Amino acid sequence: MAVAQVQDQLTLTSSDGVDITVDRDIADRSLLIKNMLSDLGDPGEPIPIPNVNESVLKKVIEWCTHHRSDAPSTGEEDDNRRKTTDIDEWDQKFMQVDQEMLFEIILAANFLDIKALLDVGCKTVANMIKGKSPDEIRKTFNIQNDFTPEEEDQIRRENEWAEEYESPP
Amino acid sequence: MDKQEWNDNLTMDEPLRKRRRSEGYSMASSLVGPKLLFRHPDSLAAPIESDASIFHQRTELVTTSSTAKLADENVAPFLARHIPDQYGPLELRPDNRSDKPSMTNSRYCYRHRPDLKCRRQVDEPSMDYLQRELQTLPQSDQQGIAHVWSLFSAAPAKHRKLMLQGILAQCCFPQLSLISASVCELIRIDFLTALPPEISFRILSYLDTASLCRAAQVSRRWKSLADDDVVWHRMCEQHIHRKCMKCGWGLPLLERKQLRASRRQMEQRAAHWGVRNASPSSILSGDMRCWRESTDPGIASLDPPNSERRVSKRQSVPPTSLSEDDDYFKTKFRPWKEVYKDRFKIGTNWKYGRCSVKFFKGHTNGVMCIQFDDNILATGSYDATIKIWDTETGEELRTLRGHRSGIRCLQFDDTKLISGSIDQSLKVWNWRTGDCISTYTGHRGGVIGLHFDATILASASTDRTVKIWNFEDKSTFVLRGHTDWVNAVRVDTESRTVFSASDDCKVRLWDLETKTCIRIFEGHVGQVQQVIPLPREFEFEEHDVEYKNESNSTVSGDDPGVPGLSPSPKPSSFGPSFDGDRPAPPRYMLTSALDSTIRLWETSTGRCLKTFFGHLEGVWALAADTLRIASGAQDRMVKIWDPRTGKCERTFTGHSGPVTCVDLGDSCFATGSEDCETHRSDFTNVFLLQNMKTKV
Repeated sequence: MAVAQVQDQLTLTSSDGVDITVDRDIADRSLLIKNMLSDLGDPGEPIPIPNVNESVLKKVIEWCTHHRSDAPSTGEEDDNRRKTTDIDEWDQKFMQVDQEMLFEIILAANFLDIKALLDVGCKTVANMIKGKSPDEIRKTFNIQNDFTPEEEDQIRRENEWAEEYESPP
Repeated sequence: MDKQEWNDNLTMDEPLRKRRRSEGYSMASSLVGPKLLFRHPDSLAAPIESDASIFHQRTELVTTSSTAKLADENVAPFLARHIPDQYGPLELRPDNRSDKPSMTNSRYCYRHRPDLKCRRQVDEPSMDYLQRELQTLPQSDQQGIAHVWSLFSAAPAKHRKLMLQGILAQCCFPQLSLISASVCELIRIDFLTALPPEISFRILSYLDTASLCRAAQVSRRWKSLADDDVVWHRMCEQHIHRKCMKCGWGLPLLERKQLRASRRQMEQRAAHWGVRNASPSSILSGDMRCWRESTDPGIASLDPPNSERRVSKRQSVPPTSLSEDDDYFKTKFRPWKEVYKDRFKIGTNWKYGRCSVKFFKGHTNGVMCIQFDDNILATGSYDATIKIWDTETGEELRTLRGHRSGIRCLQFDDTKLISGSIDQSLKVWNWRTGDCISTYTGHRGGVIGLHFDATILASASTDRTVKIWNFEDKSTFVLRGHTDWVNAVRVDTESRTVFSASDDCKVRLWDLETKTCIRIFEGHVGQVQQVIPLPREFEFEEHDVEYKNESNSTVSGDDPGVPGLSPSPKPSSFGPSFDGDRPAPPRYMLTSALDSTIRLWETSTGRCLKTFFGHLEGVWALAADTLRIASGAQDRMVKIWDPRTGKCERTFTGHSGPVTCVDLGDSCFATGSEDCETHRSDFTNVFLLQNMKTKV
């Protein structure tokens, strides 16, 4: 029994050297790990995950654990017409983290090839942009306005057409 | 090492630090304090201001007397150990760095490695604040605090973490609250700039039109991303010729082919955007943060590494530089954002009913049928003539004469025009010359509906039959079943089926293979005038269905193949002849009737999904694409509907008689009326708003 359990588990080593043991099916949410294991077999030793530190890796594993029984990702984004920025409630709560953690989660999801998590991360950022004025966006992400006033004015006029649909003339 | 020596070291290192500073951030340069205070070497990268407040609160722990000792005994060796090229003995300086690679690597956490740009932006106001606060303290306290900062900033990541944890452990709640409030404010990351372009595009792809256009106004970097073809190509795919599920509206059709053909190209563009000049080392190391440094010249110029360069750049920027930045990565086509914008404007004009109207006058009796394309508009009238008009100018090009009675239906393509008349005949014309090529007879009543597609022509008649004419083998056959006039007919070549609408209030679906009726749609309580199968791309969400169990609409089939009874593993609901590879008929169909309603049906189940109420009298005319429905009625009104919601988006008045026919295009619609006139409303260029009164 104990042996079987060990075989179904993997150890991942974070970039800062912390070992974390996870169930195989949770680790399989990462296509990177899944493909590696199916190509090379179980290495029998901790798998180093460079660039993902302990706190981020734990967070990613938390997400994978919650979504362990989801249908496997199809890989290709097949139906972009149905893309919405709706995020399921649990994921929304999960993504209530500071921008640094959000940033790291997105990078980790990209690196580990966890498409659904990457999507949730990107949607979260998109929702932070949506409906904001350029200046509000700058404030949200601490961005310097590097346009000259003339350029800014010209670019604003170039993009005016998009505002019309929202507010009828 | 005494203080003097330390200062000497600092002086000697000045040039080195300056060079570094220009690579990283010039935070310390904004401070004009006592020399020693902010002269610690790592001031260029360390986020001092974030931690300063913490240290500030803890000054009482560092007694004045111990401060100087600390500097001599602890700080200097600590600094020397962790930043040997600046504080260590000469033999450990840069020249020898190669001997100690592990040490140099451990000096900084990845954020603070001078060769990697830190994402943190230094903000001057908080530095000014720190400086002012510091200067209110006695000199020795200033030194003490500065030493704590120096220690922290020299420390490698692991040490820093320990220090912070130690400090946090000592904090009381008000101090923790201060930290928590400051941290929120401090952790703000320019995601689109810091993330790889591929991911940035993914984020942008979730934005709506207005948000994208606002994102393009944020900064140069944001503009280059948010205006890119990758983003707008996707927007076009999402919206053109179909209703976007995200925002609920669609743009008219454009070159679907071009859209599809360039998809792969756009995927590649997204994948390689900005990594063309990636440094070899960054690729080898496999560090996923490397792209941050791997900017190409174009992007680098958009994103100068320090504020001084940014200022000078800004001053020297010629007005054209915006378009020059990504010159060599340009596509040959018009930018997709421009394409989208044009279509968007048309969509907006449709939404607000802004159009210019052209009038085509010349018929001497009611106009009964109409069709147009970009060049010509054809009308058939009770005056027994067909007229060909110039769509743009409204000029009458020619009149086709030959029928002995009123024209009730017509259809043209590039080479021919076919008309059906009350005189019981169909005629095929060369509309370019006006010659009648041939006349088909066979119906025993007026021909009041026709439709051809590929090699099949179907005609509907007052003799209660539908006749199928095969251009290829010249064969014909008759579909019998309706018990009253057949008003409209539609061929679907793909599934080899035909739809017909009749005065018997029923719609029938016929199988051209078996020549039998495979489905009857009942529900209308008036004579059904029109039937239109919707394009297969049309999408309808199940939750939009308003009648789950429409008692009025029933299905029956003459065909013995009743769904569910067939032993075949995948029985088609249209009967055995549709099992296997044969394409099913279009999934959705629209009908209009003299009961003043329009109905949307699901052909496979026979369910009526939606009923469109709004016309006051019988609906004679109907046209539809994936975005909208246009209808004309006895009440002289033309209405534009949203096929999904069933909502009437706009009502047009203007005809002085019943509207008998309508045709619909991407950016316009045209109607014919018993008032002998034809009107064409164009939503592309809006000049004459007042010509047609509009109301919702």
